[in-house]
Amino acid sequence: MEPGDRARFEAIVLPHLDAACGLARCLMRNAADAEDVVQEAFLRALRHFDGFRGATASDGRAWVLTIVRNAAHTWQSRRGARGMTEFDETVHSVPVEPEALTTAARQDARETVSGALERLPQDLREVIVLREIEGLSYKEIGDVAGVPIGTVMSRLSRARRRLHDALVASGETR
Amino acid sequence: MSHPEMEAQVDAYLDGELAPADAAEVEAHLVECAACARFRTDRLALRSAIVAAAPRGEASAALRGTLGDAIRREAAPATRLRPASRSRWTWLAAAATVALVAMGSWRLGASRAAEGALADQVLASHVRSLMPGHLSDVVSSDQHTVKPWFDGRLDFSPPVHDFAGRGYPLLGGRMDYVGGRAVAALAYGRRKHVISVFLWPTPASGSAPQLMTRPAARQGYHLLHWTTPDFTYWVASDLGLAELNDFAGLLQSADSATGT
Repeated sequence: MEPGDRARFEAIVLPHLDAACGLARCLMRNAADAEDVVQEAFLRALRHFDGFRGATASDGRAWVLTIVRNAAHTWQSRRGARGMTEFDETVHSVPVEPEALTTAARQDARETVSGALERLPQDLREVIVLREIEGLSYKEIGDVAGVPIGTVMSRLSRARRRLHDALVASGETR
Repeated sequence: MSHPEMEAQVDAYLDGELAPADAAEVEAHLVECAACARFRTDRLALRSAIVAAAPRGEASAALRGTLGDAIRREAAPATRLRPASRSRWTWLAAAATVALVAMGSWRLGASRAAEGALADQVLASHVRSLMPGHLSDVVSSDQHTVKPWFDGRLDFSPPVHDFAGRGYPLLGGRMDYVGGRAVAALAYGRRKHVISVFLWPTPASGSAPQLMTRPAARQGYHLLHWTTPDFTYWVASDLGLAELNDFAGLLQSADSATGT
């Protein structure tokens, strides 16, 4: 690595370490696995950095979040984890059970949404996290998740509908 | 516009994804339509609930230490070592390699030399165009004059936009020869500066669309380069990098707006 590359890495990739941890934490559901994934992703990013031509912090963010996201997916597929299949509304939509509703009703909005986030299929969860937590544009989310912008929009819409329904069901809105 | 469509527009508006004119339209609608105004309020409440509910990301001191060590090792070529913990990671490293290859959106170095040669040609052509009488084959600030001029001269139809309203008037166009093929070259002005835009169709077999590459500075000129699924772009000028990036942003949004 050239000295200039080190400075560039520290300027445009390293600042996104916490964001990467947040994304990994949302994708992995397990803090220890999430940190392992982030570590591996950043070591990969470091080794391949001389091939990366991005100049700005937002280039660096989308680039390194892509590596984190792919490392998380790979980790999960190795373990045969759930949530890795292509999302299909008819197959994967789980009706809210009455029992879950009464439990949810006793929780505050934060716990409700937190639980609803965890129940989202991976492909919906990653777009909503990239949008609402990391503030990525549709284009950047599409780059990170490897899907067209139209798919980003429809996934965002589905994710929001589910989270909203969970909030309404818990009696926290209206 | 039906209600679901309007809700989609409101979502795009709240996500900051609408062009100014469309955003103004949504804002006007929100004043009139109680249902959409309520939808917006719900969306904002949902957003703050999501932000509050999502797990916080904070790297541990141990992770920061490991990465700090790795950066120092990578930056010291003479003692370049693999991280000590690498064996633990063997399977994941292999998997991540697959992920990186699959990623595809960013070129990894291999074509760097070819790109450097292209950059030289682009810069030479730009400088040549600045010599008296060489700027344009067709001199016009009218995109509807410049665009048809290319018909029959090139085997593709380049998108031509005028950005006079944003302070980058179209000056004209010309044919050029870069990277072994005939390309379209457009000239734009910015005060006393000239900006050359070179574009040609992205080969179908080429790499995936590419974000803006690192700006190159050569002999006092700045070069920008990016690729869309349709066209490969190079921009050269002695304009400051901030303004040149601004101009590139205009080109990119005009390009995606017209779907070319």
